[in-house]
Amino acid sequence: MTAPVDTVGTLVGIVVVSHSRALADAAVALAREMVHEGGPRIEVAAGLDETTFGTDAAAIMTAVAAADDGAGVVVLMDLGSAVLSAELALEMLDPDLAGRVVLCAAPLVEGLVAAVVTAAGGADSAAVAAEATDALTAKSTQLGGATAASEAPAGPAADGPTITLTLADPHGLHARPASRLVGAVRGLDADVQARNTSTGSDWAPVASLSRLATLGGLVGHVIEIRATGPDATTALDQLAAAAADSGLTRAVRPVSGAPQQVWAQDAPVRPLGASPGIAVGPARPLRAAAFDFDDTPADDPSDEQARLDRARADAAHAIEAVRDHTVATAGADEAAIFDAHLALLDDPDLAGDAHARIAAGSAAGRAWADAVDIAAARFAALPGEYLRARAADVRAVGDEVLRALTGAGAPAAAPGDGVLVAADLTPADAAGLDPATVTGVVLAAGSPTAHAAILLRAKGIPAVVGAGAHVLDVAAGTVVAVDGATGEVLLDPTPEQADRFAGRAAERADRDRAARARASEPATTRDGTTVLVGVNAGSAADAAAATGADLAGLVRTEFLFLGRDDAPGVDEQEAAYREVAAALGGRRITLRTLDVGGDKPLPYVPAPVEANPFLGVRGLRLALRAPDLFATQLRAIVRTAHATPVSVMFPMVSTVAELAAARAALDAAIAAEGRGVPAELQVGMMVEVPAAALRAAAFAPHVDFLSIGTNDLTQYALAAERGNDAVAALADPLDPAVLALVAATCRGAGDDVLVAVCGEVAADDAAAALLVGLGVRELSVAAPAVAGVKQSVRDIDLAAAAALADQALRAPDADTVRALTAG
Amino acid sequence: MGGMSAALDQLTDWVRRFAVAVRENRDELTRLDAAIGDADHGINLDRGMTAVVAALDAESQPTAAALFKKVGMTLVSTVGGASGPLYGTFFLRVATASGEVTELDGPAFAKALRAGLEGVVARGKAEAGDKTMFDALAPAVDALDAALADGDPLAESLRTATAAAEAGRDATIPLVARKGRASYLGERSVGHQDPGATSVTMLVAAAADALA
Repeated sequence: MTAPVDTVGTLVGIVVVSHSRALADAAVALAREMVHEGGPRIEVAAGLDETTFGTDAAAIMTAVAAADDGAGVVVLMDLGSAVLSAELALEMLDPDLAGRVVLCAAPLVEGLVAAVVTAAGGADSAAVAAEATDALTAKSTQLGGATAASEAPAGPAADGPTITLTLADPHGLHARPASRLVGAVRGLDADVQARNTSTGSDWAPVASLSRLATLGGLVGHVIEIRATGPDATTALDQLAAAAADSGLTRAVRPVSGAPQQVWAQDAPVRPLGASPGIAVGPARPLRAAAFDFDDTPADDPSDEQARLDRARADAAHAIEAVRDHTVATAGADEAAIFDAHLALLDDPDLAGDAHARIAAGSAAGRAWADAVDIAAARFAALPGEYLRARAADVRAVGDEVLRALTGAGAPAAAPGDGVLVAADLTPADAAGLDPATVTGVVLAAGSPTAHAAILLRAKGIPAVVGAGAHVLDVAAGTVVAVDGATGEVLLDPTPEQADRFAGRAAERADRDRAARARASEPATTRDGTTVLVGVNAGSAADAAAATGADLAGLVRTEFLFLGRDDAPGVDEQEAAYREVAAALGGRRITLRTLDVGGDKPLPYVPAPVEANPFLGVRGLRLALRAPDLFATQLRAIVRTAHATPVSVMFPMVSTVAELAAARAALDAAIAAEGRGVPAELQVGMMVEVPAAALRAAAFAPHVDFLSIGTNDLTQYALAAERGNDAVAALADPLDPAVLALVAATCRGAGDDVLVAVCGEVAADDAAAALLVGLGVRELSVAAPAVAGVKQSVRDIDLAAAAALADQALRAPDADTVRALTAG
Repeated sequence: MGGMSAALDQLTDWVRRFAVAVRENRDELTRLDAAIGDADHGINLDRGMTAVVAALDAESQPTAAALFKKVGMTLVSTVGGASGPLYGTFFLRVATASGEVTELDGPAFAKALRAGLEGVVARGKAEAGDKTMFDALAPAVDALDAALADGDPLAESLRTATAAAEAGRDATIPLVARKGRASYLGERSVGHQDPGATSVTMLVAAAADALA
């Protein structure tokens, strides 16, 4: 505690910023008592004058300049504007000097005493700031009732109650139970440290997930935990409970004679088939794309820190969403890994490292990426494959933040053919998958009714969703067997299991071959009624892939409008529509006019922000409010109709008046083209709103056909958004209420108006008979399903189908309907 | 001159009008701050703006940059509370963005305000909905940009911006404070209009009056 006088000129200076001059002066006097001679320069910037509370950035600049002898300055502040003014002062200081200044978050009095003592000893500014920050530990130790002597060093070395845990979990102290331990001490006023006595590791703070995992705790190892502070006993009690509860110790998971099963050999829990088909191939865990973040050093570290803080908050929201989804679909146990991810996001070591890098001048992205790299490397160097694999958790969390920071899109899958394994897929992710390389998909979360699943079915990629968080642990290259019809997922299957899958795949292949062989024949029921089977197309490529389609029952024209800054012109639209018709060999195409809403705003169509866009201005409602856009599209459709058979249909119609307005716009487009009504033009509308289904008879005189969009009709009928997993199960298209609306539509349509179904349910083999029995005479499905649906139609006996439909309408619920159709 | 641009004397007038508004509403600002803070916003800001007016009386400033730098540095040293560094940063950033000119046209003035807003964000780390001055200032700056982009003259655009600031200010009433001393109150801050959003609305309104 002696301060060599001859080094006084090189000591780190101290600045005290406070609202109160009196408080600052008294704190300085207290600290000066600690150094009897010499000691660092201490400057005060406090109060607007002797008595007026306030802080002054200009005064802080002066104080910093006065305190600096070339060795740097540590600034201690009280609260509120003291912090803001100090940051402002730093910004206004000469950059050279500002670079030597550390703003220290230590508590003012304790921090000042520690800082003055440390500076007097000749330490550099980082060490002075670190000691100041640690100053609270000594106080906590003292108040913890321990017998710590007054000269007990700050930091982990302290006496206190201890417990030992013998690790029984086969994976050792891995991320999920570790995050439970972190959670057990969060918010407690205790300093809790752990070490691995089996390896003689250093002590690590239990509050830090990344440090905790570096203990390298393997099954059988003994972990010693000690705590100091007022809540020390509580902390240890909660830790013991959390360790037992998470299965980390033997307390609640007695080990039987048999070795514990590793999850990968267990049967899957509650996965759901989301897209039929069988895939057996190497796992392709989803890897993040490289992020393109700005590497240039920050102008203002506080700006960069703010950016990182925002990105971490955004990432937390994203992870929470996946976790909540997993809780809802697979239970809390499965969701625990996402709690571990959230804990990693909050990890003081990781955040602190990034913060220090930003303070040293790094941009937010670079600072975070480097901090993540180091934390991941620390895991990767650990003993035990399971712990090494936790590096992937750190990277997943790191990538989530970088994605938020850079606004980068969804991650891209690793190269190489195989079965994609991921937490969940956004529709964008699913849309980007190439069926040629991705032979199957396994998602930890997800729902069969989510958009991603619909897209996977459209691509014919077998998929299982809700497979549980454990699938994320699969190593790249592990063989995965997926049955997208039954929802079975086997990781590293035995040869017998693989044979079983192969046998099933062969059966299906036989049926598919038979279906494909007859694909271009009409689909006629046993009693001679022809049912049109069409393809739903979002592009010419979809149409081209639809072997055997009688027509395109739905062309989603949005593909032309999304992802651009201006609307496509008449020529561009006509060319695109003709391309779809050409891909279908000139068969009829059903062009649905633009169907977007507030959930997918187009930059060139003014749209108000809506609290509930699915009940707002969308579909035809939007078209009628954007008459120029609508007129342009109708002219392109009319031109196409002069060249090739075209049906046009309007989405989201609720009233006859809307339909009349749409027809008037179409008539205007026909008149504008000046070539008369195209001979083969047919006009129809979507039935997605229950009001339209119930009043089909009122619409029928104005249309040639009605096309039921069962996806939207279902979500409107049951008031359950299919993208919302909490209610997705309600949105079952086989619900008797939906079937009643289909029946009402068919009744109202009468004999002259064809009723089509272009929703997902049309592709359900079992549903074909039911729909035909209700009176539907056209089924439009995703390209890969066309041949199979035709084959299903050929098995239908119309009288039996009508009886089935009658039964289904009287069924109490969707499950009963499903059982009827399966029987 | 139809309010297409702002000459140096008008910019000075803006600052002075703001000082008058703060003086006239000092007690009201303090009352608002008493409800959710430390009851010093009106007193502190009035002290700062009084010092600003005295400084401008003592020495005329040759350029917009000099004017706003003087305002900012004076506020930094005389306000005392958090509004010192926040308003100080605002005017210092406005000074830098204005440059050594004697007149600002609409886009230049809007750019300067935008820079000031960004300074406030950098200093206070506030985001929309934190119940801070940001909640009034940010919509005002956005509205100003939009109105100018629509071809409205500066004076009219500033009236639009004032309306946006007022709406933002009023919208702070139901919010839970997440920044500053008011954040210690948590839910108890609900139902009170934010004093910082209130004073910054006066700042925007003063611009609309001065640059008319």
